[in-house]
Amino acid sequence: MTRRLGIFKGVLWFLFGMGAALIGVRLLRGLGVVTALSDVTPWGLWKGLNVFAGIAIGAGGFVLAAIAHVFHGEKYHPVARCAVLIALCAYSGAAISLFYEIGMPWKIWGPIVFWNPHSPLFEVAWCVMLYLNVLLIEFAPTVLELTHFHGLYRLALKLQLPAVILGIMISTLHQSTLGTLFLIMPERLNALWYTPSLPELFFVSAIACGLAAVIFVTLLVDWLYLRPHRIEMLAGLARYLVMVLSFYLIFRLGDMCRHGKLGLIGRGNLASWMFFGEILASCLIPILLFAASRWRRQPWVLWIGSSLCILGIVFNRLNASGIAMIWATDSHYFPAWTEFAVSFGLISAMVLAFLWMHEHEPVRSGLFSEVQNLRRLQIFQLPRPGQPWAGDLTFGPRRTYSLLFVLAAILGLALTPWHPLVRSTSVQRARGKNVLLLGYPTGTVHFPHADHIKRLGQKACATCHHLHRPGDTGTPCSSCHRDMYLPTKIFHHSHHIKVLGGNSSCEQCHPAGLPASARSVRPCSFCHRTDMMTSNTVVTKFDSIDAPGYRKAAHTLCIACHRKEAKNPKWKKPDLFRCATCHRTPVPHGIEVLRSRARPRTTPAPPM
Amino acid sequence: MRSSFAILNDVTKCIGCEECVAACQKLHKLTPDVPPPRIETATDGLSSNRWTSIIRRPGGVFVKKQCRHCLEPACVSVCPVGALQKTPEGPVIWDGDRCIGCRYCMMTCPYGVVRFTWDLAIPSIRKCTLCYDKIRSGEIDKPACVTACPKEATIFGTREEMLAEAHRRLKAEPKKYIQHVWGEHEVGGTSVLYISHVDLSFLGWTNPEKLSGVDLPTTTWDVLKMVPYEFLGMGAVMGSIWWVIERRMRLQREQSAGRLSNTDEGEDES
Repeated sequence: MTRRLGIFKGVLWFLFGMGAALIGVRLLRGLGVVTALSDVTPWGLWKGLNVFAGIAIGAGGFVLAAIAHVFHGEKYHPVARCAVLIALCAYSGAAISLFYEIGMPWKIWGPIVFWNPHSPLFEVAWCVMLYLNVLLIEFAPTVLELTHFHGLYRLALKLQLPAVILGIMISTLHQSTLGTLFLIMPERLNALWYTPSLPELFFVSAIACGLAAVIFVTLLVDWLYLRPHRIEMLAGLARYLVMVLSFYLIFRLGDMCRHGKLGLIGRGNLASWMFFGEILASCLIPILLFAASRWRRQPWVLWIGSSLCILGIVFNRLNASGIAMIWATDSHYFPAWTEFAVSFGLISAMVLAFLWMHEHEPVRSGLFSEVQNLRRLQIFQLPRPGQPWAGDLTFGPRRTYSLLFVLAAILGLALTPWHPLVRSTSVQRARGKNVLLLGYPTGTVHFPHADHIKRLGQKACATCHHLHRPGDTGTPCSSCHRDMYLPTKIFHHSHHIKVLGGNSSCEQCHPAGLPASARSVRPCSFCHRTDMMTSNTVVTKFDSIDAPGYRKAAHTLCIACHRKEAKNPKWKKPDLFRCATCHRTPVPHGIEVLRSRARPRTTPAPPM
Repeated sequence: MRSSFAILNDVTKCIGCEECVAACQKLHKLTPDVPPPRIETATDGLSSNRWTSIIRRPGGVFVKKQCRHCLEPACVSVCPVGALQKTPEGPVIWDGDRCIGCRYCMMTCPYGVVRFTWDLAIPSIRKCTLCYDKIRSGEIDKPACVTACPKEATIFGTREEMLAEAHRRLKAEPKKYIQHVWGEHEVGGTSVLYISHVDLSFLGWTNPEKLSGVDLPTTTWDVLKMVPYEFLGMGAVMGSIWWVIERRMRLQREQSAGRLSNTDEGEDES
């Protein structure tokens, strides 16, 4: 085992362990605990990365099967075997991901029994299921070879070619249907991505992504196992890739041109930059790199070109399945760390499975003389005893990997939130000086001060403070928020009743003798007097309960001196209507002046 | 029993008392005291426990939001297991036992109405059913929200009646209303109609011209109905390519083998 392979596998086992633990949490506690998904953004990273992008990466299986078996590209046989292995891993990953991604995994058999042919997702479900079976048929001879069922083995070998063709037929359907999925959301998907040609575009880009993935994985495996790069074969694939990508680029831009959307690219907003980045990574750079036959025989060019192409098309899938919808939904979805951990954990598991199967691939094929001719179609071959294996070491440092897996799983369980995630909102993000944490217990109520200022604009202060009302001591939240009886985001009525002692508690907020309504209710600061203090120096000194109205403040604090000063023509009159004239740090004339002139504290009187 | 269910919401009459919300929660035994877990995302106030809500707009305008019960519902068309159904009477109903929780319906709803019980380990989609099963069983004669409304801002009847009533009101007071019935043509028509003095395009996701008259299910069905032909066509193309190339290669092999045997024979003769 090489050192780089050991480190690579160690990292994968660690990620796998953490992902496995979190998948367990998700299955036990539901989607709300592990994901940041919401009613506005019901699909997230798991669908975008593991299902949509994963299936695109697995497309190499049917592309290479077509090249090697249908078009008789004999020199691509070794890489076709690798491609089908990638497909098996990617599709298994997508299926497992769908299993825990849907709300009720135990009902995943639903589409088999309850049919709805109008649904694209129904078709995708069937295709993924059938294609996995096709891949298993391609895999069957490998197992049967080791048994004594020679008739069955020969039958399985004869089924190889029909399986390859069936695989191509099914892949054509579901790769394009993944694009059809989004055709029904014209109001959600950004115009740069939405087009009636989405199915065709998805199909073509999947072919490109599959080819790029085969190049990348072949390079990676050769690097990991310290083997010479098979440049000639990869350069041939890179040539095909250039053709497919050029077709994709022309098709996509032509389609946009046809719908008069080319102008949207030059807008210079986030959407256009995202689109430009996607085209640059997935098409332009790989085409330029692979165009010259001398260049595409350089290993580093193959590395960069194939990885950029994969990244670009994965980005395309993520955009189509969610990122390009943020303008319509105005949502702030960002995957929770647990979502990332599960996604990468699953990918790691699939890469490990790929490496395991790759290591168990025999160097030379077996010797059943009577089926030798058919056998070149067999895609997987397990070694028989005494035959050398492709992997240098089959199981490596088992103990280290187990330890890493268990440690990561424990770490994942320890860090998992066990209650539904409430995504950090603008309120909680602003936590700090500008957010008042009130309530019982402390911190259950969040009053976003800065947020109110931002929303209300310049008149913000005067909306709540210094209202010229008799006995104005602090404006109740209910003066603006009129719907506080029902559970709303700012107030929990039933909770207050419970905490304050049931029905007898009404009078604590609704004064006796007055109808219980928002108009007559006491302000929140009546009880939450210390909670509602802000960090402003002036208000800290003068309790918000006692905060005088603007008129009272000016008359008790300022007028005594400023009446004299106002008569002086040299004296510049202060901007009395501006809040910051008084409310600034340092406080004008020093805090002592204010304190000496302030009226003694009075007991707070409820308004009205 | 009515032949077709429809609701007409008159935005000018709504006073925002939320009696409809409370009545809905009571009838469907939803838990009103639990604040929705992802409050900040449900800007329209809908949640899995609130199937209708009142949206407060600037200037004291109150708009009741609920499922629109489209005539050509996107959610029904995309559900992979048929858990959502369009009843012959009009309401779009859901079956929590059949739902697998894929949430595709939530992605496709042009009004963003369908909700999911994120906080439950055994979740399901939920939305307004226009009280279909209760009306069907004769328990009530009109939806709970309609009965609860003190101002008759929400009225219930057949779609034809409601459309006629909407146009009658628009004609009677042309200055008071915007001359448009929301839901008459959008996404192929809806069973929940609105007349208003303010623009109501905020009820959908984006700009209203995208919701113009086109019913959404046809966008995918136009592609999906070609699937069998695509499938067989691809098979035929691939099969014939394989056969042609295989035959050529075989002929080539035979030819070279024949040439080889010819030379062999020649050698023998010589």
